[in-house]
Amino acid sequence: MSSSSRSPQQPVLQLQQLTRVHGSGATEVHALRGIDLDVFPGELVAVMGPSGSGKSTLLTIAGGLDVPSSGRVIVENTDITTADRKTLAALRRRSIGYVFQDYNLIPALTAAENIALPRELDGTSARKARREAITALEEMSLGHLADRFPDEMSGGQQQRVAIARALVGDRRLVLADEPTGALDSETGESVLALLRARCDGGAAGVLVTHEPRFAAWADRVVFLRDGAVVDQTVRSDADSLLTGRTAER
Amino acid sequence: MNNWFSSWRAAVRIARRDAWRYKGRSFLVLAMIALPILGVSAADLTLRTSELSTGEQLTRSLGAADARIVDPDYGGVPILQHPVEENSMPVGDYENKPWPKGRTDVSASFPPGSTALTDSSGAGKVRTAHGILQTEIRELKAADPMARGIMALQDGRFPEKADEVAATTHFLASSGLGIGSTVAARGLDREYRIVGSYELPDDLKADQLNALPGAFLDPLGKALEAAGMPGAGRSTTHLLALPRSADAEGFTWNMVKAANAKGVMVISRAVVLDPPADSDVPLFQQEGWGAYEDSAAAQAAALAAAGTVVGLAMLEICLLAGPAFAVGARRSRRQLGLVGANGGDRRHIRAIVLAGGLVIGVAAAVVGTVLGLLLAFALQPVLEDYMGKRFGAFDVRPLELIGIGLLAVLTGLLAAVVPAVTASRQTVLASLTGRRGVRRSSRVLPVVGLVAVLLGAVIALYGSVYSDRFIIVAGGSALAELGVVAMTPALVGLFGRTGRWLPLSPRLALRDAVRNRGRTAPAVAAVLAAVAGTVAVATYQASDDAQQRAAYEARLPHGAVSVMVGEGGGRDVPAVRDAVQRNLPVDVRADVDRIVVGKASCGMYDDNKGCGRHEVVIPVANRCPLWVYTPDGSDPADKYTKAERRKLAQDWRCSETPSMPSTESGLVVADAGLLKVLAIQDPAAEKALAEGKVVSFSRPMVDAGGKLGIRLITDPAKADEAVAKGQEAPGRVTSFDAYQVAPGTESYGVAGIVPPATAKAAGITTVPFGAYFSTDRMPSTEQRQKLDDELSKTGAGAELHVEEGFVSETSIVLLSLTVFAGLITIGAAGIATGLAQADAEADLKTLAAVGAPPRVRRTLSGFQCGVVAVMGVLLGSAAGVLPAIGLRLTERRQQMNWYEQALDLGGMMDMPHVPIIIPWGTLAALLVAVPLGAALLAALVTRSRGAVARRAAT
Amino acid sequence: MSIRHGLLALLERGPRYGSQLRTEFESRTGSTWPLNVGQVYTTLSRLERDGLVEQDGEDEAGHALYTITHAGRTELRVWFERPVDRTSPARDELAIKLAMAVGAPGVDIRDVIQSQRRHTVKAMQDYTRLKAQALTALESGAERERDDVAWLLVLEQLIFQTEAEARWLDHCEARLIRLSATAQQPGAVVASPAAPRRVPEPGGAASLPGGVRPGGLPPGGVTGPRRPAPPHRRR
Repeated sequence: MSSSSRSPQQPVLQLQQLTRVHGSGATEVHALRGIDLDVFPGELVAVMGPSGSGKSTLLTIAGGLDVPSSGRVIVENTDITTADRKTLAALRRRSIGYVFQDYNLIPALTAAENIALPRELDGTSARKARREAITALEEMSLGHLADRFPDEMSGGQQQRVAIARALVGDRRLVLADEPTGALDSETGESVLALLRARCDGGAAGVLVTHEPRFAAWADRVVFLRDGAVVDQTVRSDADSLLTGRTAER
Repeated sequence: MNNWFSSWRAAVRIARRDAWRYKGRSFLVLAMIALPILGVSAADLTLRTSELSTGEQLTRSLGAADARIVDPDYGGVPILQHPVEENSMPVGDYENKPWPKGRTDVSASFPPGSTALTDSSGAGKVRTAHGILQTEIRELKAADPMARGIMALQDGRFPEKADEVAATTHFLASSGLGIGSTVAARGLDREYRIVGSYELPDDLKADQLNALPGAFLDPLGKALEAAGMPGAGRSTTHLLALPRSADAEGFTWNMVKAANAKGVMVISRAVVLDPPADSDVPLFQQEGWGAYEDSAAAQAAALAAAGTVVGLAMLEICLLAGPAFAVGARRSRRQLGLVGANGGDRRHIRAIVLAGGLVIGVAAAVVGTVLGLLLAFALQPVLEDYMGKRFGAFDVRPLELIGIGLLAVLTGLLAAVVPAVTASRQTVLASLTGRRGVRRSSRVLPVVGLVAVLLGAVIALYGSVYSDRFIIVAGGSALAELGVVAMTPALVGLFGRTGRWLPLSPRLALRDAVRNRGRTAPAVAAVLAAVAGTVAVATYQASDDAQQRAAYEARLPHGAVSVMVGEGGGRDVPAVRDAVQRNLPVDVRADVDRIVVGKASCGMYDDNKGCGRHEVVIPVANRCPLWVYTPDGSDPADKYTKAERRKLAQDWRCSETPSMPSTESGLVVADAGLLKVLAIQDPAAEKALAEGKVVSFSRPMVDAGGKLGIRLITDPAKADEAVAKGQEAPGRVTSFDAYQVAPGTESYGVAGIVPPATAKAAGITTVPFGAYFSTDRMPSTEQRQKLDDELSKTGAGAELHVEEGFVSETSIVLLSLTVFAGLITIGAAGIATGLAQADAEADLKTLAAVGAPPRVRRTLSGFQCGVVAVMGVLLGSAAGVLPAIGLRLTERRQQMNWYEQALDLGGMMDMPHVPIIIPWGTLAALLVAVPLGAALLAALVTRSRGAVARRAAT
Repeated sequence: MSIRHGLLALLERGPRYGSQLRTEFESRTGSTWPLNVGQVYTTLSRLERDGLVEQDGEDEAGHALYTITHAGRTELRVWFERPVDRTSPARDELAIKLAMAVGAPGVDIRDVIQSQRRHTVKAMQDYTRLKAQALTALESGAERERDDVAWLLVLEQLIFQTEAEARWLDHCEARLIRLSATAQQPGAVVASPAAPRRVPEPGGAASLPGGVRPGGLPPGGVTGPRRPAPPHRRR
């Protein structure tokens, strides 16, 4: 269903005919029914929908935390539906970053260490991982938080550090599940602004939210209902804004 | 490699910070692991420190000398000696003849140019501020450089004149004397001034006086001899210093062997430091020598036993600490889920939980070892005093300490293994969403457990029925018990079915325990293991106790007292008798004397010159055919069949031979009072004594004519030779009219009583020996202590026995075992309860929300604790009783075998009594009191009101 | 809000002439309210009639300058302090459309809602993009800070209003789904027409076709000198 014609690159994330069925028989629940979605570098896609529409399931499957009943998930040209547990874990270390609603950071680690964690798990030397983490923090003007523990940071700071962690190293895909859920409006906005900025810098992002205001930060908003994509907005070219022309399907 | 290291480093960092965040839990686990490590490392240090190096040992025995020359007293015949130990034997075949005896001139073996220092020691009774003290008197020129190191001067100086002595610090303390006081030995009217104090590093409790050579022992010996008293018993060795030369190799093994040829034994510094090869030691080539060494099998068995104990202790700690890690992993589920979301695979999750164990283990190792070091250091003086030995240099063996520390690390890691695997099995999604599904427990573990139980039971059964090897029973039982531990989760599940009809709180507790087997099972298993061990030991001990009670032989009628002084002369006996009478509630006192052959100053079994011995002549017709002399040295019993031997063993000639616990022959010289004290009510015997007849308690002693013969042997050496040849020993035999007491009369080891007048009339010398007393009531502990004190001040070495009946030594063991198991139970149940509470916080909130009164929280935690304790104790009791019964059955079989064999060989033995006693008291305490106590304790320490709702995530 | 008060607010900062007022007004409101010069002068003359402004000479180029009078200042003060009147609900085409769609044969109201939602969210995306640019501009330079802040606030007002509309749409859909579920049960009263009867909160709904609010943006909005115009959306 990718209609983003302006993107000549390979998509970072491809969901193809994704279905997910919970339970069986009488209690069978179709969480997802044939989802197709491509996410390109530099693109932030918001997924909206009422509760139970399958938003979170979509995200967990996209990140390899859950397996689809059928269909394919391709992350950076790797089909993760057939990958074994180890490969999946490695993919999460190297390709996919997660941001959850709250409690994103490991309380036992400082901000810098939290960011360095995936790199360290991947075998990067502690010193190098830390240097990368500090760089990442500084790029986001969060350098002063490097040695703070999560419980010494505000919720917004924690989320911003979590975004930094989601994109440390070579990771280009951020999967954010209601990242602003626990934050007030202004702080939530700053977190999304950061996410937006990271996507503008070339990362691909998928954002699950039920707040239209936050979804509006996305380039594309996908509407989910009963496990299927019912509609989506398409980003208008920046030029069209200036000229007043429309970009509508 | 780098990859592995890096990810582990991250894991360790998380674990370290977490351990710091949850200090209480970490401390608990740390203490659990560190305590045994503390004990073991302190023990290791103390052991290593108290173990002297060869050099240190040599300094204490040889001082600075090169060798000590010892006269082995074989009369100068060539000898073979042990290179290191003071152990020798004469060359030649002495199988059937006594070893040669006699002094030899050791100076002949001194290498030319060497200097010697005599070192003589003897014993004397020294008057002290409190009384008389048996003291070793050592004549050694202690100030000589050659003797340096043997005695450690504490104060003052060593004697320089003939009338000066130095004393050990212990002597000064127990005599109440000090430097500057004078001492005198009894029997010698010379006074010596104490000019210094010293200690013997190897024997801090020695009462020793040091005098110059010839200054004390010789005068004392002469004086005592003149007074007809036993002498000072002097023995002399020589310290030897070789001439100093450049190529001195000390007293070499070849020189030692040369000295051996002259009948002299040498302890050489050079040889001890560098012992010759076994093949160079002629002694080791002798037949049967190897038997003195520990067999490899015994060593292996000891090693296996130690390994088992260590292994079981580690298992117990793991079982106790495991749940703590489990709750840690559970509490940080969300955190582990985040690691998973960030690309941590199972390996990394496992690593983080394992790192928790590693961190705690390492901390415990460090803390335990450091505290152990401090403890060993602090306790050294106390232990030195207790062991009566100065330790060597503080000996820290890093390798051993590291090994002990590694045990702690291993324990920590092992304790974290199961929680780590469990945590890593959880899907990232479940961890993140915090769903609390009931995890299906592994099906493999119970099956493995069942197999182990069955296999172990079969092995134990085989062991107890078809074999009499303990190790098989024990091994089988251990295997079965491990199997039960493995089956615990399944067994816990069975308990859950009983919960349907219980009231709310216990039902909730039971359901919760069963649903959360992950934390319940280890705690139950910990209780199970502790209780099983306790019950097994308790059952075994109780049975053993019953056996010993049955086998106990009273040495006197209940409440009676005996006191004996075996020393020559019997000079102190009256004082000893009086002391007993003064201090104990004596009813009847019966003085006894003993027969002495030769000088009155001869002691019992004294082989000094002029001393002989006496014996009762057993008439030939009364001799047990199983033991008669055969010329060819064969066993006389071989002539009989098994059945005949069994029959003969019951024959009175064999079964009623006199016992000789008190004197050489078992005869004592006493009057009818003794009969009263021994509770022998036989008017005829009293009458016989009054008539001057000898009363015999042993039928074979009296011949057909009613006579009893006593042989007085004046030359024991000749007598030995004669006996070896099967001849009658030479000696005057005196016959007495005897009265034979009815068979079956208990005489408490007295074979016969000779009336004093009769002995005197027969010209037999008697000396005071001791006394028997009957008492009004059982002497109290205070009275006994006072008496002991007074007896020790007489310096007589009196042997006191107060018949108190069978005193079980195991009750204290049983009690401490029960307490130990109780503590473990309460601890494990408490941990499990804490975990349950941490888990059940949400449920409790719901309960409170639907209007449950606050005390539900309290009762719930009480029941949670109780449930774990009850399950563990029930399973443990069952698991513990069985191996004990198995062991006892094996023992019974073994004893019966021995019994049968002994009977076949014509020996006499009582039918073995190996009862199996279940210690109901201990069991009841474990089954009822411990769970109840644990439950009450948990209920008491639980707050009724829950903590303010916290975020479940942390 | 009214243009009257907007012009008064601009004049309070000093004398202005007509086209200058128009430029400043658009700059402040981010061209969401394009003004016709004629409209400006009409309004000014009415203000003058009411004694709220007066002509006060000309500038060098010969533009007639207006200044605010004392009465004008009082009026402005009162206006600022008075809450926006909410008593009369705005007629909202969307609300009317949904009301009509309920029960209309051949019309799937969920599709109607969804297509509306797409437009609403799309509008929010555009506003948000503009807002992001405004934020960047604010961070980079403070040259025209005052106008930037004003522009930002206007954008955010738009965003929040659009969001309210989106939420209302969500609510409508959820309500319709629940009602249709009830309706499928035998014997249940068909109650679907009830949903659209709910009148949206006044001012809480952004109208679709042209203006963001009543009297707002006409089609083919005027582009400002610096800022891009808000996207024009077609029905």
